[in-house]
Formats: sequence, C-alpha cells, structure tokens
Amino acid sequence: MTAIVWQRRRATAGATWREFASQRSGLVGLVGLAVIGVLAVLAPFVTDQSGLDVTRLTASPWEPPSSSNWLGTDHNGRSVLLLTWWGTRISLVVGLAATVLSVLIGTVVGITAAHFGGWVSAVLMRFTDFFLVLPSLVLAIALSTVLPRGLGTIVLAIGVTSWPATARLVRAQTLAVEARPFIERARALGGGHGHVIGRHVLPAVLPLVFVNTTLTVASAIVAESTLSFLGLGDPTRVSWGSLLHAANMHGAVSQRAWWFLIPPGLGVVCVVLAFTLCGRALETVLNPRLKGER
Amino acid sequence: MSLLELRDLSVHYQGARGEVTAVRSVSLALEAGRTLGLAGESGCGKSTVAMSVLRLLPRNARVEGQVLLDGEDVQTMSWGRLRAVRWAAASVVFQGAMHALNPVHRVGEQIAEPMRLHGVTGSVSELLDQVELPARAARAYPHELSGGQKQRVMIAMALACAPRLVIADEPTTALDVVVQAQVLDVLKRLVSERDIGLVMISHDLSVLASTCDRLAVMRNGEIVEEGPAREVIASPTHPHTQALAAAFPTVGDPASRHVTPADAEPSGAADRPVLLRAEGLRVDYGSTKAVAGVDLEVRAGEIVALVGQSGSGKTTLARTLLGLQRPTAGRVLFEGAELPRSASGLRAYRRQVQLVLQDPTSALNPRHSVYEAVAEGLRIHRVDGDEAERVAEALSHAELRPPELFFSSLPHELSGGQRQRVVIAGALALGPRLLIADEPVASLDASVRGEILALLLRLRRDLGLAALVITHDLGLAWTIADRVAVMYRGELVEQGTVEQVLLSPQHEYTRTLLAAVPHHGVPEPDRTGTP
Repeated sequence: MTAIVWQRRRATAGATWREFASQRSGLVGLVGLAVIGVLAVLAPFVTDQSGLDVTRLTASPWEPPSSSNWLGTDHNGRSVLLLTWWGTRISLVVGLAATVLSVLIGTVVGITAAHFGGWVSAVLMRFTDFFLVLPSLVLAIALSTVLPRGLGTIVLAIGVTSWPATARLVRAQTLAVEARPFIERARALGGGHGHVIGRHVLPAVLPLVFVNTTLTVASAIVAESTLSFLGLGDPTRVSWGSLLHAANMHGAVSQRAWWFLIPPGLGVVCVVLAFTLCGRALETVLNPRLKGER
Repeated sequence: MSLLELRDLSVHYQGARGEVTAVRSVSLALEAGRTLGLAGESGCGKSTVAMSVLRLLPRNARVEGQVLLDGEDVQTMSWGRLRAVRWAAASVVFQGAMHALNPVHRVGEQIAEPMRLHGVTGSVSELLDQVELPARAARAYPHELSGGQKQRVMIAMALACAPRLVIADEPTTALDVVVQAQVLDVLKRLVSERDIGLVMISHDLSVLASTCDRLAVMRNGEIVEEGPAREVIASPTHPHTQALAAAFPTVGDPASRHVTPADAEPSGAADRPVLLRAEGLRVDYGSTKAVAGVDLEVRAGEIVALVGQSGSGKTTLARTLLGLQRPTAGRVLFEGAELPRSASGLRAYRRQVQLVLQDPTSALNPRHSVYEAVAEGLRIHRVDGDEAERVAEALSHAELRPPELFFSSLPHELSGGQRQRVVIAGALALGPRLLIADEPVASLDASVRGEILALLLRLRRDLGLAALVITHDLGLAWTIADRVAVMYRGELVEQGTVEQVLLSPQHEYTRTLLAAVPHHGVPEPDRTGTP
C-alpha cells in the first residue's frame, strides 16, 4: 500500500518542481545558492587554509588587487578573496543553524498554542508577544555579551530572538486547519493529540513552514553579519560580518582599501537575495492564493 | 407575446480543456403573472440559463440561440439598452443572500441603489413593506438581520425598479423550513399581486411544486421533462425526475416510507436493549444554553431522527453524545455505563459509536487517499489483522465496489455521493454499533440522497447498526426513521414513533415545522387520525 502513497508523493513533488522551475527568479536564486553552497563546501579542498594564518604571510598589508592577490590584502596581508571565501562557510552555517532553531521553536510553540487553546495558548502567545516587542538586535547583543563567545552563542542569540513571527504564522495556519471538519472526523475516529497533529496538522502546515524557513535564513545571515560587525561574533573564525568589523577597526576607509569592504558586503547581498528569490518562488508554488497575481 | 422566451438556447464555456457545453438547445416560455420552475442538480446548467437572460455570463461563454425579453433579443441589445433593461425590466434574486449583500452599507441604501442608477422614484419603506419587513429594517446593516430577513431584502432589491420579470436563483437554499415557507409565501403573493413573471431555480422539487405553475427539469444542460408542475411531480415520466421527486418525500405518504414493517415493529423495538441513553443532558456555552436538559434513548438496531431548525442545539447534542464535548450537567450512558472521561476510555468508546459528518468534501483530508482515510481509524486503534482486507470490506459495505478500484483515489476525484460513502466506510471499518450522522445528505445532490439513505437502512438490516440521524428535514425522518425526537431551543419538545410524531403532532412547534414543509401535488394525508 505504501508503494501507492510514495508514487503519489513522487508525482506531487514532480509537479511542484515543474511549477517552481517555471519561475525564472526562483531558478536564478536556486542556481546562485547551489554555486555558493558548492564553493563553501569545497573551500578546504581547493584553497590552502594556511593563507589565513597571519604568521605565514608573504604579501604586505593593504595591497590593492593584483594578479597574485585578486582582491588585494587586508591589514595583515591576508588575501581578501581567501577570507571572503572562507567567510561564506561560517555565514551559511550560522544562518542555517539559527534558522533551524528559530523555525523549530516557532513551529512547536505555534502548533501547541493553536492545538491546545485555552490557557496554554494564552500563556504561550503572551510569551511570544514578549519576544515580539523586544528589539531583537538588542536582545541578541545582550545574550551574546552574557554568554561565552563562540559559534553556538551566535546561533542561540539569533535563533531565540527570531522565532516569534514563525510562531504567529504557524498558529494562524494551525487554527485554520483545525477548524476543518476532517479534524473533527479524526477525533471521532478516536485520534488523540499526536494523531491529529502528526497526520493532519503538520502536513498541512509544513509547506508554509518551509517557505518561512528560506525567508528566515536570509534575515539570520544578516543578523549574523550585524552581530559579528559589532564585534560579538566568534573571534577565532572568519565570517563576512567579522571581516567588515576588522575593516572598520583597522581603518580600511582611511586607507581607501575599498577591496576589503566590498567583497564581504557583496557576499551578504548575494546569499540573502538568493534565499529570498527562492523563498518567494516557493511561496507562490505552495500558496495557491498568490498564483492569480502573477 | 411571451414575457420571456428562450429559443434553442445553447451556452458553451471555453475552458483549458476545450469547450464545455453547459446548456444544450433549451426552449422555454413564460407569461406575465406566471411562475416557471427550473429544477436540476448542481452542474446541470440551470444557473447558466438564468444568467444568460440578463447577459451576465462570464467572458469565456459562447451563446447560441435567442433570448427574447418582451420580444427583444437580449443578445443583440446595445450596451446602453442592456443597462436600461437590467433591473428595470428584469432582475435577479441571487443565490446566497448571506454573501450577496455588501456588509458595510445599510440595507436601505442597497435597496435604493438600483433606483438611483435608473432614475426611478420609489420608496424603500414601501418595498420593505411588500416583503413583510418593518420600515426600520432599512437602517440595519446586513449582519444585524437573520438569514430569512436578508433573503427578503434581496427580494425587495429585485423589485426596486418594478421589473416585469424576476429570476430567483435558489432563493431558499440556505434557509430553515419555517423561514423558507415565509419567503416562498412572499414570492407567491408578489407574483399574483404585481403580475410579474417569476423564474424560480432550485434543486428542491418540493419547493418548486408549492410555488410554480410550470416546471422544467434539467439534466446535463438539457430539459428532460417539462409540463404543469402538479403533473410533473405527481406522475413523472423521465427517470431523472422520478429520482428527484423520490428524494423529497412527502410526510405521510406510505410510498415514500422506506422502513419495512418488520423493521419498525414497535413491540420488537421495545425489547431491544438500550444502546445509548442521555439523562438530563445540559451544555452551556457561557450564558447560552445550547442543550437544556435532554433525555434521549437509542436502542440497538434502531434509527432515531433528531429533528430541529438550525441553532436548536442538534449538533451540540451529537458532539456531546460522542464525547467530543463535555456536558455541563447530566450524563451519557452507553450500555448502562457512563461515558469515560479518560482519553483511553473515550478511545475505546469510539470503536462503538462513530460519526458521519454533513459535508463529505470537507470531512476528508484532501491530501489523503481513500485507502488512508478508511484505514485511519484502524491505525489509530491498532486493529490486528489484514488492514487492506478490512478496508476493502468496509468499502464494499458502503457500496463502493470493487473496493480496490478506489484505494488510491483522492477525495477530489470522487463525486459527492462517493465521498460520503468513503466517510461512512471509514466509520464502518471500526465495526461500530451506532452511527451518529449529522445531516448526512444535506449537502448532496437530490438523486444521491436516496441512495445514501437506502445505504443506512441496509446497514441496519445487514449489520444491525443503530443510527441517530440529525436533520432539519422532516421528509428524511419520515423516510428512514423508527422514532423521531423534535428539538427546539435546546430541549426535546416531543418524541415518539414516526407515525405518532409526524402524523399526529402534539406540540405546537412540531405542527409549525410540519406546516412549513412544502407539499407536492399529492393529497394531504389525514392529520387527525392516529396511526
């Protein structure tokens, strides 16, 4: 019997893909993401990590772009191209991990609040409102100051501050699904909370969560860059934000070292744009109400 | 010259999958002061016919033939002429009064709107008076009015420019029997007083029978039968008309009662053990009393109909009996034992008592195949044995044969009747002893209704399945029930055998309900005699 189910799922996935592929902006975003992803994964294999080590440098600081250093060097004489390339890895990892955390918290809180209702919902939603009204950057700064510095802290700080919007969205969708009579039928058949949530609510809510995820990644990457730019990131690792922080600290502007400022900035823009394009295209595919407006 | 004449009218819709013919060479005529009924199931093209009269069809429609309004062809009218004709010569009472009124304007302004557009002078309060609404209703917003009042506002709006032709598209579909009777009376009176022609569209033959002079029955875009209303209903010749007529039984007509005497033997029924009993059941939502002290019994193998208007607390009672809603006071007993409150106890109870919902389209998860929907209960209860075999058995009990053919279908690929059978099969898979069916046929097409009701009766005969059927339709109760309980404002005002309650009602409310049921051309049954 499961064979039929899987066959149908494959067919649905195929149809979804065809519809996604028919949107050029979504495809552009997807190709961009694939390229960036492959570059980030391949960094340790095609580049020499020792180039990031200040003690083994041959180039002099603040070298403008040349044939040996395509994007010039930083204040220590490290290649900006290499730094930006390696920065991709941290930016992506932090962005994705923080998004997973944020979407996870948001989905659990949203579904729980909507499914159980009553005082559970009241408590959870007031809790959500509390996080929603706090300026998330200030909260993230406070968190990363109090907690020990490191990658985990950044992920935690971004994840914990960006879930309320997801929670509200998931709650609204869950409420809409649970008002449908097939939920009543499932209950009358004897289905408990686990059955109703697992078999009926989650499959209906997940597409929305998925779209939300791709859009959240973009803002998480921006948040990571912001925190690192403010000097709150992991000092031992290179990310786009920490590159900009270093450029700012060591007077790249007064050195007229534009090559140190632009590459990491463009990196952030490209990744965020790619994720946003993908997310918008997915949203159009999965949310039939948006189709008519195309 | 006829007020309205359709000559060989055909309408085709240009769709993504080629051209679809919605109406096929329909010819009809209507004189002033007369009422023409157009009957048919959903999708038969009756609304398309109505909309073509005022050229209100969407852009992708292609019209052939002639629509003559007072001898003038609507198809060839200029835009300006058409605007003048719309509403001033012919107007429409649209389907679904709930959504056809603008919620942010007072109804008085909305009634006056066509008069303003056409430069006609008239009085809103006079129009409201004609539809038996007080003049102060003009100041109300739509949400402040009841369904019947809104429908009357729609009629007043249609009359605003004193048209000679009114087209009423399903004017009473969403209304209760009592309100429906009032609205139909208003329409009948207006036809005779103002000498207008009325085209009335409905899927309900009994509604048309009580208002129309002539009746045309449509199927797949064609008129299959036409004639004087009484004749068409009393002795239908086309099988489709017969099916439609049978779907709306007349209370008191032995021919439309499908319970065989052996099933309904009163002495036999009394011997059967009581399956489900409600004692002094009360459910309050805040200060509103949805169910206010109900005592009800369902015996094994018995079909009980719970009848009442919408808002009478029927559905709340059903949910409480199923344990989906906790009662404020009183108790529910199944085979003498009080309903458990624990989750596991309730789950065990669900194997005995199952629910069939009103609208099968929304009662099935659109993402689940038929197999998954039927197997859902088996999986919840971790029933042993061959799952596929049990699903196939349940489907064939619900008369979806051969069952394997339906396994992988998704709900949207099935017809309404098939969907309801899937819902019933899903309930049957657990081998329950009682079905609680909340308006099981209300959202189905007329010809399918009879089949689903026959299925319930057959399940009772073959599996000994008892049923509590909740309905607003007294005819349905007459067709299949052994006993009837009448609910009014949260209380059971009358209960007894079908013959007792429906043929010699004791309570005032039961009489009102019975009087409101539209009657066919058949002679009235003797209401005073005891059965």
